[in-house]
Amino acid sequence: MTAYVARRLIQAIPLLVAISMISFAILKAVPGGPLAAYEGDPNFTEEDARRLEAAFGLDQPIHVQYLNWLARFVQGDWGYSFSSHQPVLGLILERLPNTLYLTFVVYLTVILIAVPVGILTATRQYSWFDHIVTGSTFTFLSTPTFWLGLLLILLFGLQLRWFPLGGIATPGVDFDLLDRLRHLVLPVITLALVQIGSYTRFLRASMLEVITQEFMRTARAKGLRERVVVLRHGLKNAAIPLVTVAALDLPDLFTGALVTEQIFGWPGMGRLFWDAATRADYPVLMGVLTVAAGLIVFANLVADVLYGYLDPRIRYS
Amino acid sequence: MRRTVLVILGVFSIVAAACGQQPTGGTTFITSPAASETPVKGGTAIVAIWQEPTTLNPLYRNQTVATVVGNVVIEGLSRTNKDGEYEGELAKSIPTLANGGVRMSADGKKMEVRWELKPDIKWSDGQPLTSADITFAWQRWLEDKKVNTTTGYRDIEAIETPDPLTAIVKYKTIWGRYVTDITPLPKHLYEKEADVSRTEYSRKPVGTGPFVISDFKVGESITAERNPNYRVKDKPYLDKVIFKNVPSSQVAIAQLKAGEVHGMWNLLESEAVDLEKDANVTVFWDDSPSVERIELNTAENKDMTDPNSRHPVLGDIEVRKALLYATPKQQVIDKLLAGKVKPGNSPVSRGWAAPKGLTQEGYDPKKANDTLDRAGWTKGADGIRTKGGVRAAITITTTTGNATREKIQQVLVDDYKAVGVELKIQNMPSATLLSASWASGDPRKRGAFDLVMYGSSPGVDPAQTVTERYHSKQIPHAGNNGVGQNYTRVKNAELDKAIDDSNATLDFEKRKEAYARALKILNEQYVKIWFYDRADIDGFRKDVRGIVKNPWQEFTDNTEDWFLRK
Repeated sequence: MTAYVARRLIQAIPLLVAISMISFAILKAVPGGPLAAYEGDPNFTEEDARRLEAAFGLDQPIHVQYLNWLARFVQGDWGYSFSSHQPVLGLILERLPNTLYLTFVVYLTVILIAVPVGILTATRQYSWFDHIVTGSTFTFLSTPTFWLGLLLILLFGLQLRWFPLGGIATPGVDFDLLDRLRHLVLPVITLALVQIGSYTRFLRASMLEVITQEFMRTARAKGLRERVVVLRHGLKNAAIPLVTVAALDLPDLFTGALVTEQIFGWPGMGRLFWDAATRADYPVLMGVLTVAAGLIVFANLVADVLYGYLDPRIRYS
Repeated sequence: MRRTVLVILGVFSIVAAACGQQPTGGTTFITSPAASETPVKGGTAIVAIWQEPTTLNPLYRNQTVATVVGNVVIEGLSRTNKDGEYEGELAKSIPTLANGGVRMSADGKKMEVRWELKPDIKWSDGQPLTSADITFAWQRWLEDKKVNTTTGYRDIEAIETPDPLTAIVKYKTIWGRYVTDITPLPKHLYEKEADVSRTEYSRKPVGTGPFVISDFKVGESITAERNPNYRVKDKPYLDKVIFKNVPSSQVAIAQLKAGEVHGMWNLLESEAVDLEKDANVTVFWDDSPSVERIELNTAENKDMTDPNSRHPVLGDIEVRKALLYATPKQQVIDKLLAGKVKPGNSPVSRGWAAPKGLTQEGYDPKKANDTLDRAGWTKGADGIRTKGGVRAAITITTTTGNATREKIQQVLVDDYKAVGVELKIQNMPSATLLSASWASGDPRKRGAFDLVMYGSSPGVDPAQTVTERYHSKQIPHAGNNGVGQNYTRVKNAELDKAIDDSNATLDFEKRKEAYARALKILNEQYVKIWFYDRADIDGFRKDVRGIVKNPWQEFTDNTEDWFLRK
């Protein structure tokens, strides 16, 4: 097992380098650039543009720019934003808690709702409850989050005025739990609904598969209560594919939700990336993309390892 | 009733912040005549912003929103008042030739400017502001490679500081724009830092303004608290100004209506008309220096065009004239902009340099048709004119996603068709169209456009705009790596001469005359259709008082005078 994990980790290195190389090339292919932000200033001259290009290293050929970035990155220097001149790692760490806070609440909500609902729909297949859940989860799955978010803002924020229109807390107010919760409601609903849809359907499908297995009948024949049969024998086996899905979703926990954070003005990683993208702030973009790529590679490894642990039939060598 | 007395004569009327009627425009409002209301002390004003300043430090900032927020902390030697006149901010007065503050060298090739600071000004940390802070600012702006622009500092040869309140700035050349350049920096703090850009001064710069940034919550809000060392006694009235980060201008409007914020800046004309219906909100309309225009390419529409080439259609001045006559400026303003802005006549529409009485011909489709008939452009079976086998078919380009501009384009397609010119729409994202960068492929720089529509504003001193946009030496092309902004490729010896004249003297009257001449010749070239003077619109709750609209400054320029009515 240790050898397997070590091998996978070593394999990840060239993969991450390749990802960063492609990311860099794509960012550079977008028209415009970090200097476009200065052009509104009537005092900005061609001379200023040349000076800033040199200061940011933009006058170098693209492969040199990339190699410079890579060389610094492996030494732990993530570079500095072209716009705020702050260290990229600091900018990321500053936003990370806000994203973790939102995504943690979202995942908690998803698990708390999707797991019981998924089990119930499977054990009561084709009941009215099952039909309603299947129908609505399908709707949730097909709803684009940006549209849902705007709709919720329009309805509950603008029309009914139940919840604030965005942000993480009311400015100028000291920490207030109720205020925080009110700001949390709409973005959590927006992000959770889709996830609830997918998790419920996953669990329902694998539960249905498990329910008809021989060992379930054996458990019932032993005289176990239905509750114990479903939860201990059924869910434990049905949850295996769900664990993989959840592990693969892990990177989202850190990188945040790009569009949703933007719509709700949530000061997290997604918004950091969005703002940096509008300014062609390459160091920040590369920092966030690399973190995301690293997490995805890591999450895949975690999923594989967990899978082997939960399902004794699978062994790595 | 705009004041005619020029700043340079040394006549400064202090604009009492909270008083006065704004004479220009029929729809401009200024809150709270001071006579009827006593300012209330205390309270917090919340202003919605929907971009976040990445840095507030004047050395590096390049966003409008950074100036909006930074204004409460950062002050310069001078400021421009709402009438476009200069007045001292940290300086006692504006040095001019007339008052002896500016002196020319014997050979007339160099100059020096003597600035006197107001006494007893302190930085917000309590240290005194001295002339050394001016010298330090000049040095930093040139030493630090990451600053936004060195304009205004790079022509300085030396600064002498005979006493703590006097700085004599010596220029290498004749530099007409010396008034608006200098922002002192707190030497005692910044000189200790190897790289100021990476310190906390980016978010909490130290200044002399009415407030101090006390809290910068990334992505959430920026809180400014009263500066205990502010030079004006009993001001500011407010305890705090909070800049609240909101996702979009639509959300800002909603929060303004709901009373969650007190104010917001930079509304679109279309948004403002709707917001005006709200009884709790005052919408400030003012003419901004920005002019929405259509520019006509006189060279061939081709990537990296040869500046000496001639556009097959727009190369003919008669066609350009006809397009101006076929452009229904006032009708568009009435229908699409609620009649609230003025048709444009010149790129320099406000301030001391604005030429008086300069006009551009109005809408007259018959004259347009006659002009084209006379010039030999004959209508074909499809109603489109041709001459010598060239079809009068051109394109218009503007920024994608701007509803007002897109509607105007539709109007133009119909109106130009009526005079026999086919117009096709070919829009681009603003990041590409307006990047002003040769390398990033700005089509204006490259010459790859027929008509282009956008807005642009000159500074209160229009030297840079007039020179870089209309002088024939400023035509961007491959040979000069795309330097210059003469996008229409207009070349006229008299125009060049007028511009050269404007740059050859420090005498404001002479400069004014030269600008008037240059802009008149420019209009006679028919390369620009000045569509309308953009409005500058902000919205505030009625309980916020003391705001003065000033087209040359962001609205946060006088936060020390703001107060909240009980």
